[in-house]
Amino acid sequence: MQATLDWLDDPEVFRVNQLPAHSDHHFYQTTTELQAQHSSLVQSLNGTWQFKFAKTPADRPLAFYQPTFDASDFDTIQVPGHIELAGYGQIQYINTLYPWEGKLYRRPAYTLNADQLIADDFSEAPDNTVGSYLKDFTLPKAFENKRTIIQFQGVEEALYVWLNGHFVGYAEDSFTPSEFDLTPYLQAGQNRLAVRVYKRCTASFIEDQDMFRFSGIFRDVNLLALPAAHLDDLDLKPTVNDDFKGGQLAVTTKLSGAAVTNATLKLTIKDATGQVLATQTQPGAAKVTFDAFAFDQVALWSPQQPTLYQLTLGVYDADEHLLEVVPYQFGFRKVELRADKVIYVNNKRLVINGVNRHEWNAKTGRVITMADMQADIQTMLDNNINADRTCHYPDQLPWYTLCDQAGIYLMAENNLESHGSWQKLGAVEPSYNVPGDNPHWLAAVIDRARSNYEWFKNHPAIIFWSLGNESYAGEDIAQMQAFYKAHDDSRLVHYEGVVHTPALKDRISDVESRMYEKPDQIAAHLDDNPAKPFIDCEYMHDMGNSLGGMQSYNDLIDTYPMYQGGFIWDFIDQALFVHDAVTDQDVLRYGGDFDDRHSDNEFSGDGLLFADRTPKPAIQEVKYYYGLH
Amino acid sequence: MAYTKQQLHVIFGDGTLGLGGQNFHYIFSYERGGLESLVVNDREWLYRAPMPTFWRATTDNDHGSGFSVKSAQWYAADHFTTCQQVSVAVDGQPLTELPIAPVNNHYSNHEFADEVALTFTLATNTIPSTPVTLTYTVTADGRIAINAHYTGNAALPDLPAFGVRFIMPTTATGFDYTGLSGETYPDRMAGGVTGTYHVDGLPVTPYLVPQECGMHMQTKQVTINRNTTQNNADQVAQPMALTFNQAKQPFAFSCLPYTADELESATHIEELPLPRRTVLGIFGAVRGVGGIDSWGTDVENRYHIPASDDIDLNFTIELPK
Repeated sequence: MQATLDWLDDPEVFRVNQLPAHSDHHFYQTTTELQAQHSSLVQSLNGTWQFKFAKTPADRPLAFYQPTFDASDFDTIQVPGHIELAGYGQIQYINTLYPWEGKLYRRPAYTLNADQLIADDFSEAPDNTVGSYLKDFTLPKAFENKRTIIQFQGVEEALYVWLNGHFVGYAEDSFTPSEFDLTPYLQAGQNRLAVRVYKRCTASFIEDQDMFRFSGIFRDVNLLALPAAHLDDLDLKPTVNDDFKGGQLAVTTKLSGAAVTNATLKLTIKDATGQVLATQTQPGAAKVTFDAFAFDQVALWSPQQPTLYQLTLGVYDADEHLLEVVPYQFGFRKVELRADKVIYVNNKRLVINGVNRHEWNAKTGRVITMADMQADIQTMLDNNINADRTCHYPDQLPWYTLCDQAGIYLMAENNLESHGSWQKLGAVEPSYNVPGDNPHWLAAVIDRARSNYEWFKNHPAIIFWSLGNESYAGEDIAQMQAFYKAHDDSRLVHYEGVVHTPALKDRISDVESRMYEKPDQIAAHLDDNPAKPFIDCEYMHDMGNSLGGMQSYNDLIDTYPMYQGGFIWDFIDQALFVHDAVTDQDVLRYGGDFDDRHSDNEFSGDGLLFADRTPKPAIQEVKYYYGLH
Repeated sequence: MAYTKQQLHVIFGDGTLGLGGQNFHYIFSYERGGLESLVVNDREWLYRAPMPTFWRATTDNDHGSGFSVKSAQWYAADHFTTCQQVSVAVDGQPLTELPIAPVNNHYSNHEFADEVALTFTLATNTIPSTPVTLTYTVTADGRIAINAHYTGNAALPDLPAFGVRFIMPTTATGFDYTGLSGETYPDRMAGGVTGTYHVDGLPVTPYLVPQECGMHMQTKQVTINRNTTQNNADQVAQPMALTFNQAKQPFAFSCLPYTADELESATHIEELPLPRRTVLGIFGAVRGVGGIDSWGTDVENRYHIPASDDIDLNFTIELPK
């Protein structure tokens, strides 16, 4: 198969040869590796890559993926990293309008021009910068004779992959891992990986988040070696009995590899103290459903006591030789929307003391480290923050596990935001809204819903799936909700944008969600016998010196059981360190400071933390009010 | 001269009124409209006469809600308020005329009193103008009681703030206060914990765009610590302190190296001037910061400062024992 550039222009092409999304479990070759939490089956490709920047698709080095290509004029770049922060391409911050505002006239395919693609809209665009990456690697010893997968955990925004001159695959969806099977093209010794990253494609219309606009390979890249029988997917469904004492666990797995049919699966479940509660052995198959486990007593997972159980699954070959071992921590908790139109978790009314959190580091942008994530968790715990909305995309993989362990509720949001397509100068104007009711945009957004679900379905911290942010609402978003309802009855679905299309309220969102609603308006709504519990998905806009009047929201919690709290906008200022030649200091810069126009300037400085992660003074107020419930 | 009496030495000058005591000397200027010099232990505490302050550097929410546009008159008033009238009272007796030549020709260098009060009446540079009085009552122990009175006028827009601004000649090394922890505002002080706190230096909260910052509500007392002066004959750094106490009610204060105007003018923290002075604002009314959104919604009503109501601010300056 040959790659073609016109995929950039087609909203119906968003994954080519990409492996199906699956659970985010780790796998190890031996129990020793498991204990050390270092898998010889994973090889990082992070580090220095060869790189060539092109201002437009037409300027890209066309044959760079050929093994014979002479890359002597290539630069080098660090992976992961944003192309713009490496000095290529202009940094831009813009909120609702599309980043090409005032420079290029664009409308989404299949909207105003009826049933047509718009040829060359991105593939021959003057604003579509291109990064051509090369990485030579030697296959590790442990990988020999195993299937080999490449995993890109985040690439913005359109990704083409070649290995040794062969086209491997294509992906969009910047904030979701993309995996491809390299096995057919691998060779002994040196291998040449070629990756082309385009800054824009049709997905740009649905990835219009209020943030700095970057491109490039910005999350980890790994090679994964799959044993002869490999657990592709682990699906855990822990449930809590109606008496809130006992519980059940259903375990379903998907396996692949030549040795699956002769393999044996040995599953062990331990409690938080390490005591073995149950074991079970099943013969290998493409799909294995374990006999349900029942427990008379389970310790529930909650922010107050985030108890996690330990599942360990060993995959053995016909000779009882361990092929891989998979650990997973899971928890029991019950989320209910009851007849009184109040959400309960573990039989207690849910009160969300939440924040919206963008992934941010003032030096590296959305490239953040484990230390950054751990610091953010600690800040949340220190300030009585019990919930995070992953605005407005899935976060790095470890974040979900950290929230499980720390007891932070998650509203796990899809990578979807299209406010440039319906919100103009503050007014609602959806004449070319996508995804809307558009059948040509449906598959892309359903794929985002599926990926978000499949990767993170086993995390007890997630109590809501969120369909996206500020994308208006139509049939396509209703279908996203239908996807979650068909796959998951243990969580609720959230979406705010249906507030603009009340006719769809029966089909979109289990909660009435609003942003920046005034306290008296919320009270008026709740006095009017509403159909759904109420959540502020964004409130207390903490721009600059702000966060006054939180008491009025706190009072609603005490007055209205159906008022279930909210997520402060937001966790951390988005601003970038730049060396200022005038003062000879590293200083924080914001939109418009890079000659970027159109820009929304300092509007990204709304955090409880400054961009360098020091807390703003207002956080003591958050800690106080969030400590009351 | 040596002060043997437990009374104020009153110097009836031609442009000023001086008040001396054992370890202090104050000069009130009729031209400058206030207290021009506050010397304690031979070291100066004032760079310019204290003036009423009405402005705060626009917050992002003020900007978004258009508050600063609606209340822009107070920006001018913060700069250009002028003194209209000065009156002096000695030991409770108002002088019928300002004691300058020739009225003061009958005095000597041996005039003493137990208490001297000066009232400066200022006119705000607003349309319409409204009077603000600053009254300083000095007693023989050197204590200065200050009353700032704002005369309400319903024709004026909401105030950003009302207080008295002291500009000191050099930067403070820090300050100590008894009040609430952290940076607090009327609508953001529930999390503040009452206590006595020390702050090193004059930190400016590094909001992305410099704006109003560093307010401390519900303060009983604040002591400013400096150790340098601008006096060419006094080049040895040594600690000095001046304390501001609440009178009947607690006050709010901020202590920064910048005026509201300087903060207002910068788009980034590094654009602020090099810190060289101490700007202490003692406030009787502070507007809330708001937070519902940053693009139109005002601060909640109860945290506004309506221009129609009178505001009285009372506090004292105490000398070190």
